[in-house]
Amino acid sequence: MTETIAPAPAPTRPEPAGPRNPALARAALLLLQGRTLVVLVLLVAFFSAISSEYLTQSNLILMTKHVAINAILAIGVTFVILTGGIDLSVGSIAGLASMIAGGLLFTGLALPGGTLFFSVAVVILVGILVGALVGAVNGLLITRFRVAPFIATLGMLYVARGVGQLRSDGGTFPDLSGTPERGNQGFHVIGVDSWLGIPVAVWIMVVVAAAAVVVTTKTPFGRRVYSVGGNERAAVLSGIRVNRIKIAVYVISGCCAALAGLLLTSELGAAYPDTATTYELNAIAAAVLGGTALSGGRGTIIGTVMGAFVIGFLSDGLVLVGVSTFWQSVVKGAVIIFAVITEQAQQRLQSSLARRTA
Amino acid sequence: MRKLSGIRRVLLPIGAAAVLALAACGSGDDGGSGTGSASPSAGGGGSKLMVIITPSPDNVFFKAEQDAAAAQAKQLGYETLVLSHDDDPTKQSQEIDTAISRKAAAIILDNAGADASVAAIQRAKDAGVPTFLIDREINKTGVAVAQIVSNNAQGAGLGGQEFAKLMGGKGEYAELTGKPTDTNAGVRSQGYHGVLDQYADMKMVAQQSANWDQAEALTKTQTILQAHPNIKGIIAGNDTMALGAFAAVQAAGKKIIVVGFDGSPDVVSSILKDGIKATVLQPASKIAEMAVDQADAYVKTGKTDQPEKQSVDCVLVNPDNAKSVTNFAVAGA
Amino acid sequence: MSAEHLVARGMSKSYGGVRALKDVTFTAYRGKVNVLVGENGAGKSTLMKILSGAEQPTAGEILLDGEAVRLAGPRDAMARGIGIIHQELSLFPNLSIAENMFAGRELRQARRFVDGKEQRRRTRAVLRRLGQDRLDPDTLAGDLPIGQQQLVEIGRALLEDVRVLIMDEPTSALSNHEVDVLFEVMADLRAHDVTVIYISHKLDEFRRIGDHVTVLRDGSVVAHESMDRTDTGWIVRQMVGRDPDTLFTRNSSPTGDVLLEVRNLTVPGPVRPLVDDVSLTVRAGEVVGVYGLMGAGRTELVECLMGMRKASAGEVRIKSRVEREGTVRARLAAGLALVPEDRQRDGLVQTMSVRDNILLATIGRLTRAGLLRGGVEQRTAKSKVDELAIRMPGLAATVTALSGGNQQKVVLARALLTEPDVLLLDEPTRGIDVGAKGQIATLMAALAAEGFGVLFISSELAEVVAMADRVLVMARGRVTAEFTAANVTEEALVAASASDSVLEAS
Repeated sequence: MTETIAPAPAPTRPEPAGPRNPALARAALLLLQGRTLVVLVLLVAFFSAISSEYLTQSNLILMTKHVAINAILAIGVTFVILTGGIDLSVGSIAGLASMIAGGLLFTGLALPGGTLFFSVAVVILVGILVGALVGAVNGLLITRFRVAPFIATLGMLYVARGVGQLRSDGGTFPDLSGTPERGNQGFHVIGVDSWLGIPVAVWIMVVVAAAAVVVTTKTPFGRRVYSVGGNERAAVLSGIRVNRIKIAVYVISGCCAALAGLLLTSELGAAYPDTATTYELNAIAAAVLGGTALSGGRGTIIGTVMGAFVIGFLSDGLVLVGVSTFWQSVVKGAVIIFAVITEQAQQRLQSSLARRTA
Repeated sequence: MRKLSGIRRVLLPIGAAAVLALAACGSGDDGGSGTGSASPSAGGGGSKLMVIITPSPDNVFFKAEQDAAAAQAKQLGYETLVLSHDDDPTKQSQEIDTAISRKAAAIILDNAGADASVAAIQRAKDAGVPTFLIDREINKTGVAVAQIVSNNAQGAGLGGQEFAKLMGGKGEYAELTGKPTDTNAGVRSQGYHGVLDQYADMKMVAQQSANWDQAEALTKTQTILQAHPNIKGIIAGNDTMALGAFAAVQAAGKKIIVVGFDGSPDVVSSILKDGIKATVLQPASKIAEMAVDQADAYVKTGKTDQPEKQSVDCVLVNPDNAKSVTNFAVAGA
Repeated sequence: MSAEHLVARGMSKSYGGVRALKDVTFTAYRGKVNVLVGENGAGKSTLMKILSGAEQPTAGEILLDGEAVRLAGPRDAMARGIGIIHQELSLFPNLSIAENMFAGRELRQARRFVDGKEQRRRTRAVLRRLGQDRLDPDTLAGDLPIGQQQLVEIGRALLEDVRVLIMDEPTSALSNHEVDVLFEVMADLRAHDVTVIYISHKLDEFRRIGDHVTVLRDGSVVAHESMDRTDTGWIVRQMVGRDPDTLFTRNSSPTGDVLLEVRNLTVPGPVRPLVDDVSLTVRAGEVVGVYGLMGAGRTELVECLMGMRKASAGEVRIKSRVEREGTVRARLAAGLALVPEDRQRDGLVQTMSVRDNILLATIGRLTRAGLLRGGVEQRTAKSKVDELAIRMPGLAATVTALSGGNQQKVVLARALLTEPDVLLLDEPTRGIDVGAKGQIATLMAALAAEGFGVLFISSELAEVVAMADRVLVMARGRVTAEFTAANVTEEALVAASASDSVLEAS
């Protein structure tokens, strides 16, 4: 068949030497890959040793509920980061959704014919749609107008926050419990109530995370998201409509942010314009902690959720044992930096192992 | 189409905001201020612009302060320019520069930092624009014409006493403090402890900063309640934190005494519904009006007949008098 | 002083699994123009990078004036008097000529401030030496035509006290007049005992200026000769080496219907059209080669066909249907698929596995109820891996773990899964070793036999001559000649691709 008489290439072994002890390296790699879990286990062990209240069922449930908000934000942001983008506007979108929903519940929609009130389900839907809309604007700015994601979403961070403030003229919507006459009672269900002993917010996080896992690993869309972040030009050449993918991930991020904002608002029972200020940083931190590469193409939803757990369990633990605010900041920042360093170490080890097996 | 309407929905408020900003500038513009004479002794012949600078009106307290000052100034025949520095001394400094360049008659300022504000206020003074401080003091005298503050220490004493009374003088409690860099956070906490530490049976089991923030107060209170299930009371450095703490208490289904500070409408209505037990009202509106009155006197006569440092006593709000509280003022007080 | 100025002895260099240099010994003689030739991928660039300090050899030593030296980096090499002018321009377009000349080594005034005046004065002197007296040192480099930019680049090297100057295809962007100026400069350098190492494709040019010639092939030195003892035919034979027909499988399938027909296609460019009025056809069962030098517009042509660039004029018919929509998706759907020239940049998603890379373009077809079916994915990818004999650790391994040739096959597998009618292959054998080249050639012939039309781009003479049924030659965006397998010769290809003769002819 082949009429090749060219000398077969000598079986080449790469000179850039792999690790000296592959078995050890493999073990280290395994440890690094599961580092978020390792850190989480260490955290729980550490705080349990200090405080007997840490490892109780009720505290675990409470901490998980606190994690839920950030995890949902971070899941949305993960989609964006996987494409190589960034979404700085999620905190503001959460705040905006909170103000829109809070306004609809508290003051209703003022129309010329009178004030209209909507059921809680509609209000929640509207809140999430607002998030989707802001996300779509982000996506359009980035694709159609070629604004760098950092800049576009930074701008949106201010715009969305400002629009939220305009909605109430800076004030708070203090009471979202609704009245029977208006038919808008029950907003507390998503943020306050529990089902089977687990807060509804945690159930929502589980559902969102499960859906996100399926989308990222089991759908063509998910695969394309990874490819856009891994190599945009290759994605284009494979016939992938990169712009659509990008717009879609910002919409997903906006929806997740809005949902998180609604949960937070429901739990608080009040909507105020500063809701979720700077939460975008926590969300990005969770994603990075979970192994999502800011350069795109690498990361998992499970990792991000684990990252959110680490951040949440850490900060709650520090509050529980009574550490001061200042130290809380220091420790949180150090953990994030540590996470990125280990991520780098993992990449290096992985590629050197891969070269050996090539 | 959907994409378009998405853009429009976001653009509309931007446009609206821009128009508002322009309108604000326009209304403050007094056609004849080109003379540049804004020295204290210039009397009524100078500028008729009063610049009111406060922290973000997100917080109803500052909103009330702004509104009261602006209303009083208008009543006295001044144009007003209302700005917010969002607790950012740099932004505040730029806004004071704006006031100087606009040759304002006076600045009413709720400042962004006891030390960080001094230089900017001095700059205004040097340019002939007098500053009247409200709500928060600065760490220097002789720079501003007046520093009118509510007596935080006295107010915290009131709050502490009421809290101790509600607790029956014993039991575990937690404290939520404000932003650690804010003077008032410290003053209030000391005021509380000046009273509470005298009760041997009252034990503070947790003290955390919630940075004046409602959501942060909620999550931190939840965690504190986990660690200390026997807590009977929570005393908070301001009302937004009290509201957050109370939301946590409600979610936990507990009966815990919550006391705040500020006298905000939301807390007052919570008191009326037997939610939060008490708060300490800062007479924000009154202070703002006093400052405008004194500024007016100073513009007209060159003096205020008042000492620079003035403090206005706070009023305790509890179910007995909550009905008569509106917009940071107790009727008849 | 010995005549041997710079000697690279026993050089070897490996990248990943590919050995780019195998025990190469290269000698540059003092005060001479030492020409280095070879096909693309022969190892010229690697050797040059090592000599200029940009890369470290895996084995071997460098002797400068008979003394073994270690070049830690380009700065180190520069400090020893070894300068380099790259083929790709490395000027800062936003800085002036003078600023570019002194970028990174600014002249200081009082040890602190940049001495702009002195920089301008010295720049003017260098420009005069390059015959560019009329150029203002304050002109932004980005505003200059490419040829003058190249001269500025050369000027940068002249500013230093270079003893050895390496020039990598410096004339590829120059006009005839500029080439003459450059050769005068080189003669001047030679007169000052500067050693020049000159890398070029252009036989006629380097025969004019060169003193010694070294031929590299597949990472080894195959010939080293004094220029006056050679002729063009000899050099080509050394470059190509063995009888081309034994290395590459020739397609011998009967041709069928016209699958791709391009008429008067033009892609606009900044100065002149990148693709200028190109017409061509590809039939079923036919392997069509496009030969040309770098920058001849070949890549732009296939990118335009694939919908990655907009055409300003012309028509593309695929299976007799005029394709108006110029998007990648539309062209994929119409039956084109491209294996791009730069695998790393345009082909592979480096973060993904072998399997995911193979399936990327067709992933949407492998679902049930919107969800991917792992088993089908695995089988589909496996079938292509077997078909193309891709060697890999496993389907789940990251694609970067594969050797260059196997990476290329991954990209090819992806293209084949889209079930194209015409395959566009841009430099399919670039940067892969000889064995893999042969395999790719066999594959192309096999594909043609299956009824595909194949259009491939190559800058390797032997490859084009051996593999193509028809060869189109491009230069400066135009098709300058067309040959059939029967009448093509390497000399004719070289002649048709030399851009200058094109200009003169047109």
